[in-house]
Amino acid sequence: MARHHTADRDDRQRPPRGPLRTEDSAPTDPEEGTERGFAPAAGALPETLRGPASLLLALYLVGLGLCVAGNTASGTSLLLGTVKDRLFAPWMVPLWLDLGHDTRLTYGLPEDADHSLEIRPAGKGGGRTSAPLRFPAPGDHSERGSRWRRLAVAAVLAEEDAEQAGALPAAIGAGSFAAAGDDDLVIRVVRTMAPDYEAARSPGLSETALEVRVRRREGELQLIPIPPAEEVAPLFDPLPVSGGGN
Amino acid sequence: MDHRASSSIGELAAVAAGTWDRFWFTPTDARRLAIVRGLAGLLGLVLAWSWARDLVAWFGPDGIVSPEVLGVWRSPTALSLFDLARSSAALWGLFLLGVVVLGMLAVGALTPIAAPLAALFWASLLHRGPMLVGPADDVLAVILWCLVIGRSGDAFSVDRRLAATDAKGRAPSWRNGLSLALLRLHASVIAAAAVVAQLKADVWWNGTAAWWLAARESTRIDLTGVFAGSEIATNLVTHSIVLFEVAFAAGVWNRWTRGPVARVGIVGWPLVGLVAGEPMWGAAMAILAWACLPDDGAPR
Repeated sequence: MARHHTADRDDRQRPPRGPLRTEDSAPTDPEEGTERGFAPAAGALPETLRGPASLLLALYLVGLGLCVAGNTASGTSLLLGTVKDRLFAPWMVPLWLDLGHDTRLTYGLPEDADHSLEIRPAGKGGGRTSAPLRFPAPGDHSERGSRWRRLAVAAVLAEEDAEQAGALPAAIGAGSFAAAGDDDLVIRVVRTMAPDYEAARSPGLSETALEVRVRRREGELQLIPIPPAEEVAPLFDPLPVSGGGN
Repeated sequence: MDHRASSSIGELAAVAAGTWDRFWFTPTDARRLAIVRGLAGLLGLVLAWSWARDLVAWFGPDGIVSPEVLGVWRSPTALSLFDLARSSAALWGLFLLGVVVLGMLAVGALTPIAAPLAALFWASLLHRGPMLVGPADDVLAVILWCLVIGRSGDAFSVDRRLAATDAKGRAPSWRNGLSLALLRLHASVIAAAAVVAQLKADVWWNGTAAWWLAARESTRIDLTGVFAGSEIATNLVTHSIVLFEVAFAAGVWNRWTRGPVARVGIVGWPLVGLVAGEPMWGAAMAILAWACLPDDGAPR
């Protein structure tokens, strides 16, 4: 029988003991292995463990496939989700292996833009009173800064989830009372959109992705949504009124 | 006829079984895995540093990521040792313990104990703040669990220095082969999954994705001047990233392309990470690329 090469193993290594062993593969004689510089059975998987190990591997491969298929934006299959949640999530989630690995890097969407947190005392009527705390600090390109940006994005995206909505902004506020020295804060997530490629020389545009007021009254945490400015401010028409002007 | 058919099916099954065995269970020298271990330990320390400064602000008793937030964020099956840390002192104690374990992994001290503890620490840390986790953290978690299987402490390690120089310590082990095979599998899967995710969006087809990556304020290297001046350059970088990821995902499975692809990956992934504003992810992928090198690429 011709020797079966694999595409992925160095043939100079000793192949394992198995049904396809040929004259130029693994030594079967202990002395032969010793001549090659190592004990023959020391490094090989015992035959009795090969079956269970293969079974575990196959199980893991199925789990890995289901995690990749089920953890992406497209992974909405009820069947795959149910199988994964019932059989694999209980042991893959605690190990932090329930991952989709769908590192898209960017889609050029608003949610892919830089987000940052701005925390300031609300003052009377929620007006601006003092310099806000900013996370990350402007110009912070570190991994630590990236974590703050992820937190800010998470706060915005969570608003689309009925269960998670409000939880993170409220927690950010509660966690910032001491640092801000105030029990009544405005939490603003600022999104800095890069210009389109066609307008590459233009500066980025900053906008408010989320703004809420968080305050503590008699030990109770209150979250007060602040509607986007365009919903409360009158529209301004930059065109001159007909008949006006010089 | 029937006999011939059943005999060829039997041969095919034998070939498949042999290929399976050789891929997963070939006894392998520990040196390449040891380098993966050292690099993963160092990357873990760097990434841990990015959690350290805000540890109490995020996870402390009055921290932002409160148990209430975790309650609506985390899977019910998620567990974290950090859930047990109710005070800032306990939190810091646990964190520093994890840092020590990562350091032990990096230098290969008590590796059989340090490797599982490092993986456990890392998974616990990520479960404590899932909304803060980036792609580099995910890849490192995978690498650390793969290292638990192998005998990476058998080479380039404090353990090796302290051990008697017997032949057993140098012997190839099926555990190293399995660990490296799993690392290679994940390297390919992660690259393939990234490509599939990217190609769902127009920006990766029309060639402007590189612009969207570079034009973010958070980017580590400013390429906006280059890209704004040349759409061709922007398209070239965008398509090169996709092509590189496809080549890597597929190339590590072929005996002829595996070595070149892995070597290109060691340089290419950090470059992609830099352009994408995810340098730590690039570094983590470069570690996986190292694990994909055929044995003739390992240092002697």
